[in-house]
Amino acid sequence: MAVETAARLPPAIAADHARARRARRRRNELLRHLALAAITFVLVAPFYYVFLASLKNATEIFSYPPKLLPFPPYLGNYEKLLFHTGFLRWMFNTLFVAGSVTTLKIFLDSMAGYALAKVDMTGKKVVFMAMLILLMVPIGALIVPLWSLMSSIGLIDTYAALILPPLANPLGAILMRQFILGLPKDLDNAARLDGLSEFGIYWRIVLPLIKPGLVVLAVIIFTDQFMSFIWPLIATTSDDLQVLTVGVAALRAHGGANYGLWSASAVMSLIPVGVFFFVLQRQFLARSLAGALKQ
Amino acid sequence: MSAIPAIELIDVGKHYGAVSVLSGINLSIAEGEFMALLGPSGCGKSTLLKLIAGLEELSEGEIYVGGRLANYLKPSDRDVAMVFQNYALYPHMTVRENIGFPLKMSGLAKDAVRGKVEDAASFLQLGAQLDRFPDELSGGQRQRVALGRAVVRQPLAFLMDEPLSNLDALLRVEMRTELVRLHKRVGRTTIYVTHDQVEAMTMANRIVLMHKGVIQQVGTPAEVYSRPANTFVATFVGSPTMNLFKGRIESGGNGRKFVGPFELPLNGMGTKLADGPATLGIRPEKVQIAGADTSHALTGTVELVERVGADSFIVAQLGGGTSVNARVDAATEIKEGDLVAITLPAGALCLFDAEGIAVEEGT
Repeated sequence: MAVETAARLPPAIAADHARARRARRRRNELLRHLALAAITFVLVAPFYYVFLASLKNATEIFSYPPKLLPFPPYLGNYEKLLFHTGFLRWMFNTLFVAGSVTTLKIFLDSMAGYALAKVDMTGKKVVFMAMLILLMVPIGALIVPLWSLMSSIGLIDTYAALILPPLANPLGAILMRQFILGLPKDLDNAARLDGLSEFGIYWRIVLPLIKPGLVVLAVIIFTDQFMSFIWPLIATTSDDLQVLTVGVAALRAHGGANYGLWSASAVMSLIPVGVFFFVLQRQFLARSLAGALKQ
Repeated sequence: MSAIPAIELIDVGKHYGAVSVLSGINLSIAEGEFMALLGPSGCGKSTLLKLIAGLEELSEGEIYVGGRLANYLKPSDRDVAMVFQNYALYPHMTVRENIGFPLKMSGLAKDAVRGKVEDAASFLQLGAQLDRFPDELSGGQRQRVALGRAVVRQPLAFLMDEPLSNLDALLRVEMRTELVRLHKRVGRTTIYVTHDQVEAMTMANRIVLMHKGVIQQVGTPAEVYSRPANTFVATFVGSPTMNLFKGRIESGGNGRKFVGPFELPLNGMGTKLADGPATLGIRPEKVQIAGADTSHALTGTVELVERVGADSFIVAQLGGGTSVNARVDAATEIKEGDLVAITLPAGALCLFDAEGIAVEEGT
C-alpha cells in the first residue's frame, strides 16, 4: 500500500521523502554506534588501565596527567613477576588443576548426563532431584565438612585435594542431561540396531553431537577452576601447590603496595583464559544436528 | 518361499503399568511379503514395530524372527533393519559413513564395506552425494540414505516406521514407487507402518488394520476394502467413508428386512444374524443414483455436490436427518436441490451386528 502511495507522488516530493528516510536511517545508525562505543569503552577501559599500569614503573603509575601510551614501556614488572616470584609455578599448578578437573568432569558429567537422559533406571528422578537440591547448597556450607573429609583421608595439601572435590559438582551433569535430552530417541535406536553398545552410543553418537554443549561446559568449568580461591587457599599449605589466585593474593600480602607488579600478574593471568576461549570458540562451529531429522 | 514365516507374533502384548498399549497380537508374515500396519495415531502400530525390532521390551507373548525366538535377542542380533519416521541419520557422518556404519560395526573389512556402500549408493542414485553430510541433502535424498543404511545390511526383514510421512505430496508419490521397486528388487520381508490408507492400499500385499492396540482385520487391500471385518475398518478405509445406517433386522410376512432410516428387504442376506439391532453399510461408489423403478430405490434430496475431477461426491438427504454419500461419474448431471432415486444394490451391502462385527460381506 505504502509503495502504491509513493508511486503516485510527484517525483520531486518522492525524492525529498527518500532523502529524509536516508537521513533518518543514518541518524539511527550513528546513535547505535555511539551507544555501542560507550559500552565498549566501559568494558575495555579497566583492562587497558591495568595493562598500562603493568608497563609503568612505580612513579609513572601515579604521574599526572597519566600517559595513555607509555614509551618506552617498562618491562621490569614482568621480569620481577616471572623471575622473582613463584608465578610460573602458580600458573603451572592452576593449569594442571583446571585442566585435570575440566577433562575429568567433561567425561564424567557427559556420562552422567547420558544416563540421566537416556537410560531407563529405577530412582532416576530421585537422583536428579537430589542433584538439583545440591546445587542450592552454598560452597561456604561445605568447606568445613569437605576439609574434615579430605584431612581424614590424608589428601590435604595434595593435587588430589584440589582436583577431586570439584568433580562432585552436579551442575555439569544437569547441563549435559538437558543437552542430551534434546537428541532424538530415534538416533540411539538406530545406533542400537546398528550394533552399538550403550557405551558405544554415548561415545560414537552422543558425544560428537553435543560438542557445542561440551564446549560450554568446558568453558564454565575451566574459568570456575581458574578463578577458584577459597578452597585452594584452605586445601593447600605448601608454596609448591599454590594456584594463581592464592599466589597473586599472597603477592599483595608479602610484596607491599606494588601496583605495577599486581597489574602485570593480572595481565599474565588473563592470557591462559584468553587462549582457552580463543581455541574453543572455533568448536562452537561444530556440526549441529541439522540434517539428522526431517525438517 | 520358505514355510517358516519370516516374522511371527504370538499373543504379543505391551503395557506400561496399568495402561495396555497392545494386546493379543497374533500375526504371521511370510518371507518376502510386504505387510502394512495401518491405523490411526496412537493405535500401537509403531510400538508393535519397535517390539519386533527389540527397541521396546515385550510385556507378554512371543516374537519369532526367521523361526528363532527373538524375545531376548538384542536389536542388532534380530537380523532386521529399520527405517525411522525421522530419518535418524547420524549428522556428524557423511552419507558414505552413514550407510557403511552398520557394516563397520559388524566387523566387515574396510574394502568390503566400501564396495557394498558404493553398490547401495549407485542403486539408490546417491553416488554423487557419498561425501556429503545429511544437512547438505534434500528430503528425498536423506530418505534414500536411510533406506541405503537398511538395505546394505541385507537383513531378513525391513521395518519401516512411516518413512514418507513428512515428505511433500509429490515426493511421497515418487518415493512410494521407489519403495515398491526396492521391495521387488531385494525381495525381503517388509513391515511398513503408516496411517495413510492410500500408502497401505497401493504398496502392501496385505494390510493389518489396528485400533486401540488390537488387530481389527488382516487381509489383502481388496479384502479390507470390500469386506471390512467391522464398522471401524469400514469407516477407516475408503474416502469418502462407507455409508453406515443403524437399524434393526426384523422378520415379517414378506421375509426378513432391515428397518432403519428406510426399509430394505434383505433377500437372503444376514441369515446368521438373529432379529435385533444391526448396521447396514455400503461404499459410496456402489450407491446408484438411478430411476425410481429399480429395486430398493429410495428417494433423497441432493444437499451437496463436490466435483473432484473424474468423479463427483454427492451427499443426499433421505429425511429424518439421515444422509447418504455417493460417488458418481462426473458426467452425471445432478445439481444441489434435485430429487433423486437412490439404489443400494444388494450385492454391495455389508451387514454388521449390534457390536459392529461384519456378518455378511459385500462384494
